[in-house]
Amino acid sequence: MEILGSKELMEQVRSKGLCTTCGACVDICPYHQSHKGRIALTFDCDIAQGQCFAVCPQTEFDANELSELMFQVPFQNLPLGHYRSVKSAKATDKIIKGNFQNGGTVSALMMFALEEKWIDSAVLTGSKELVPEPVMADSSEDIAKCGTTKYMATPTLSLVNKSAREGRKKLGVVGTGCQMKASASIRSNPMNKDEYKDAIALSLGLFCTWSLDTREFLDYLKSRVGREQVISMDVPPPPAEIFVIKTENGELELPLSEIREMTQEACATCPDMTAEWADVSVGAFEGKPGWNTVIIRSQKGEEWVNAAVEAGYLVLDDLPDESLDHLIQGAGNKKKRADNAKHEEVQ
Amino acid sequence: MNILSTGEKGSRHLLMGNEAIARGALEGGISVAAGYPGTPSSEIIESLAKISKDHHLYVEWSTNEKVAMEVAAAASFARLRSICVLKQNGLNVASDFLLHLAGSGVRGGMVIIPCDDPGALSSINEGDTRHFARLLEIPLLEPGDFQEAKDMTKWALELSEELQTVIMMRSVTRLSHASGSVVLGDLPEFGAKAEFRHEGFLLDPNEGIVSSAPVEIKHSQQQEKVKKAVEKFETSPFNTYTGPESPELLVITSSACNLYSREAINILDVKDRVGILKLGTTWPLPEKLVAEHLKKCEKILIVEEVIPFMEENLKMLAQELAPQIGQKTLMGKRDGYLPMVNELNPDLVINAISKILGIEYQAVPEEYATGTLQKTFFGAPVREWIFCPGCPHRASYWSINQVLKLDNNQGFVCGDIGCYTIGTLPSGFSTLKTLHSMGSGTGIASGFGKLKPFGMKQPVLSVCGDSTFFHAAMPALVNAVHNKSDITMVVLDNSGTAMTGFQPHPGLEANAEGNDAIKLDIKSVCESMGAYVKESDPFDLDNTREVLFEMLEKKDGVKVLILRQICALSPEKKGKKMFEMAVDESRCKGEKCGCNRLCTRIFRCPGLFWNKEKGTSKIDEAICAGCGICSEICPIGAISKKEVTQ
Repeated sequence: MEILGSKELMEQVRSKGLCTTCGACVDICPYHQSHKGRIALTFDCDIAQGQCFAVCPQTEFDANELSELMFQVPFQNLPLGHYRSVKSAKATDKIIKGNFQNGGTVSALMMFALEEKWIDSAVLTGSKELVPEPVMADSSEDIAKCGTTKYMATPTLSLVNKSAREGRKKLGVVGTGCQMKASASIRSNPMNKDEYKDAIALSLGLFCTWSLDTREFLDYLKSRVGREQVISMDVPPPPAEIFVIKTENGELELPLSEIREMTQEACATCPDMTAEWADVSVGAFEGKPGWNTVIIRSQKGEEWVNAAVEAGYLVLDDLPDESLDHLIQGAGNKKKRADNAKHEEVQ
Repeated sequence: MNILSTGEKGSRHLLMGNEAIARGALEGGISVAAGYPGTPSSEIIESLAKISKDHHLYVEWSTNEKVAMEVAAAASFARLRSICVLKQNGLNVASDFLLHLAGSGVRGGMVIIPCDDPGALSSINEGDTRHFARLLEIPLLEPGDFQEAKDMTKWALELSEELQTVIMMRSVTRLSHASGSVVLGDLPEFGAKAEFRHEGFLLDPNEGIVSSAPVEIKHSQQQEKVKKAVEKFETSPFNTYTGPESPELLVITSSACNLYSREAINILDVKDRVGILKLGTTWPLPEKLVAEHLKKCEKILIVEEVIPFMEENLKMLAQELAPQIGQKTLMGKRDGYLPMVNELNPDLVINAISKILGIEYQAVPEEYATGTLQKTFFGAPVREWIFCPGCPHRASYWSINQVLKLDNNQGFVCGDIGCYTIGTLPSGFSTLKTLHSMGSGTGIASGFGKLKPFGMKQPVLSVCGDSTFFHAAMPALVNAVHNKSDITMVVLDNSGTAMTGFQPHPGLEANAEGNDAIKLDIKSVCESMGAYVKESDPFDLDNTREVLFEMLEKKDGVKVLILRQICALSPEKKGKKMFEMAVDESRCKGEKCGCNRLCTRIFRCPGLFWNKEKGTSKIDEAICAGCGICSEICPIGAISKKEVTQ
């Protein structure tokens, strides 16, 4: 695939409303920067080929090449992407209790990776006064603080770029599908830059059906909960169709349809519900509260999960067939919706 | 030794036009001089301020031109002589008061000295102040050389006092800023006593109240004064004719154009064919004198700068005189012999005269013109309007620009006149989007800030300098606060009226004469108005950015951010580096992805240059001011700063 520059990135992605706010282009250079969930171009850059274009999950890419790199197989267009196995999992008492949702599998895997030196630091999404922001976690305590789901688009990968510039290596990255795809591209080091060599050691994908426009949602949140402290937000499994905001004064139920309207534009055309380009992907296990669904994709991911189980951070269980069918159906539906949306756009 | 102060009567000196005017004011016995800095006028007040003590003067840099005019008028009302000095824009500022002053009349001699800037050499307009004389109905004088600049100032003061009307004497850049030979006159004894009499009969010009009302009476009195002035003009030695008895062409000119016309006639060697009527009294025109000269020939060329002011007045007069002297052909700007924009020069006058007389003469041969154009185009380095090395404005605009772009809501900045005008250009990252008169950035912002009900969602910012804040931005700020406009005003406080040469202003501890003055704190002023105020050092990029974001976040009402850092050229700072800067060439990414020459391509401080051979940036030791900002913006920390121990 031809690598182009910042100008083409603006033309092909950002000006078309296709930016997913993953952050892969942010902080590579002084030109693409982010603020409060939005990415902006500060000044024009006229370089013909740029890392920003090369790692953007929304520019054209060679799926076979990336699949070979991550999974050592050619690309097959499957609803769940490539995987070795799908399990259910939950964290054990061994891990520091954070604010995590569902089974705490993400926290457990990241804490294990950090404590056992599979990674040097973890790139996560935390928040500061409700505004989600990239967080560099150097300890399990740091990880525990980032447990909750933010639902807002966050340029988390900007921290990978900042770390690379600072010469850090062996990062563990947690993110949504678009961020996993960008992470895989970063791992392929398309511009052959020293600072990105071995920058990412592990990537953990989160299931994602949509991400909200941060600014729009924050304004909405402010109008709904005022000055109350938000503790967590959750989308209970269907057919609830509600969005639950837990604050210091109790729970607030809001219609999900109202929330979905604030979805960022690019999510409509995203075909990837289960973060197909990660080592391991994790989501809620809708049939079993307190558990997660885990998709083990790469060889490294398999070794990682097994080692975490062996070290007592995580327990695994089989995933019932009907749950897997349900997951495949859900992921397939997202692909169909994305196709339709793309089609509409073209028309 | 100051020649203006000690130069003896009859001695000859090389004086700048503005110095000649200052000396003329001294010879004319002024007690008070007030003004607001503005090129090309500033040296008049500065020269007088330096010697104020020795000559028992009160010299003031006023808050703005209107106040300067009022201060000078007060002296006149107290029967002292005074001058008010300003540049062309300043007369607009003062004009509201002036219209009243023209009607009320004066007591001590008072002369307004506007210095125009044809060609806008240091302005962003070339407004022609002569029109104000007609609008205000006050006599207008224009010195035609350096000696006249001095002599006419003295005479204008005397005439003003005699007629009890304010008089305008207009200078231009080439007269104010060039130097010429001047023979000095006598300095009067000083000891004028100030007293304002106001107990007399209402309409008594010397003892009654000073007012332009009752208008009908005062207006006709004023017109009588103007008529008397014309009578004096008829025999004024400042109106001179040089040339043959019956010339083929009569050039009527004034001001610096007198010098251009004389040179043109000399070069063309047409002294026996062309006569010059040089007028020093240009409004109203001395009719009899003009009639006498119009009689001399059929063709008349009017040579003046910018707008055809004299041309129009002369044409009107010629038409009135036509039954006696016959129909004449008056040429000038309206028929295209001379341009209506930019300043004139001898070449332009040569072109006009040679065309009229049918002389084959090329003032600038084409070969020469294209040759020099080519040489300068290819030979001279490209120079653009940029901020100096170490200029705090560059850092301020950097932060404002970044914040607005990251905020991503199409926010914009309204600005006005000062060095920070460069904010419209790449050196200020093209951050300024409106540019008008002093203080108008904030006034315009105040208006934009009320457009929310019409769907406007963009953040609105304004910038103004510290001197401008006091000059004209305060009423705009009051307006914004009172009317609950949603704006962020950024005061770019570089602690002086930097662009015109560091004249003091109300925010500083010293006045024009160097004496103690009360310093007004901009922050307290804004706070007392009810604005939300913060201060930051523009060189602290992180803090400035944080505060700006906070202000944009606080959507409602007026926010003021004062960015304070002394001008890099200020006497306190000049030549002293805060940091010794260096580029680590091994780390500099140059044109590569990850930087693409941010410092030399975008930030563009002249203290940095691009070393093409090596593909890295380099510090220009000779001009780097050591402010340290480039080390903050370098994305990979290749520019280091080492604190300089003073």
